[in-house]
Amino acid sequence: MIYEVFARKTRGEPLRHIGNLNAPDDDLARVYAFSTYDEEKWFDMFVAPRDRFLEVFNRLDAEPVDRAAALAEAEAERKAAVTP
Amino acid sequence: MSTAVNEYPKAAALPEDVRGSVRDLVLVLADSKRVLGMRYGQWILGAPELEAGIACASMAQDEWGHARLLYALLRDFGEDVDAIEHDRSAGEYFSMDALDGEPASWPELVAVNALVDGALSVQLGALTGSAFLPLRQRVQKLIDEEAFHAAHGVAWFQRIARSGDEGREAMEQAAARILPLALRWFGPDAGRGRGLQEASLTDAGGSAMRNRFIERVSPLLRLTGIDTGAVDLEPDFSDFDEASRRSGGAPDERTIAQIRGDRNRAFLMD
Repeated sequence: MIYEVFARKTRGEPLRHIGNLNAPDDDLARVYAFSTYDEEKWFDMFVAPRDRFLEVFNRLDAEPVDRAAALAEAEAERKAAVTP
Repeated sequence: MSTAVNEYPKAAALPEDVRGSVRDLVLVLADSKRVLGMRYGQWILGAPELEAGIACASMAQDEWGHARLLYALLRDFGEDVDAIEHDRSAGEYFSMDALDGEPASWPELVAVNALVDGALSVQLGALTGSAFLPLRQRVQKLIDEEAFHAAHGVAWFQRIARSGDEGREAMEQAAARILPLALRWFGPDAGRGRGLQEASLTDAGGSAMRNRFIERVSPLLRLTGIDTGAVDLEPDFSDFDEASRRSGGAPDERTIAQIRGDRNRAFLMD
């Protein structure tokens, strides 16, 4: 089962997605998250099975006919985000 | 028992009759952690899933770090720490005899993880209030870092033992091999153990640590079908050496050559 791993450096900051891992159960998922991602000084860390993430919406699926346009728009937004 | 507890800020301050015992205990812990780290290291690439290999790498790093920290304590006893770390033969190691061979299978590595790492933690736990301050100041950090080793050992032990008859039997065999060695490793109540306890250098003798250990690992052992009520808590100490806590034998020479870094000697610079 794939688990997603989240952590943050201080209590105040939002949780950040830091990676994922394969584990057969929750106990080993915790152990593996610790041994794989504990290189940095995290304040706290969480794991959750990927299949428990429920999609609320996804702009690409919203209007299938405009898929190409939506992709172009997403790409333009990405570029805008990385250009200072 | 005296009422005023002395504290010893350095090795030279320790009562002469127990100084050697403390030095040997530190070496027993350091060598056991060094060799345990090698056993984890030998399974980094063979573990059944990538994440378990990473966990082995992480546990190996921890053990080597702990060994380093413990070896450094020996300087205070007038020891040449470099020579201890890099010049000894396998026969001179004070590592736990349950670690003498490379774990031949993953269940064997898991048994080492759960039982040997567990026995070391029980021994460290008996030192958290030690009157020898340099040791006391370090053990809690070591115990804290061991918490995830224990979680890894328990999770894997349960997983294999519950996977069916074949897994349960493999886990039982691996645990049954280590159990008597780990129990004997805590040593007899008389002799050195008593001296350390009377000087408040440790808070438990051999039997007390055996009981703590059995209590800790019983839930796992029961999963394999081992009757924990029938475990012999009075080991045979007839050929037991209290200094090394061994009964003859030695860790495998190949592993010790890797620890010494024989093949890296050519690159050493002074």
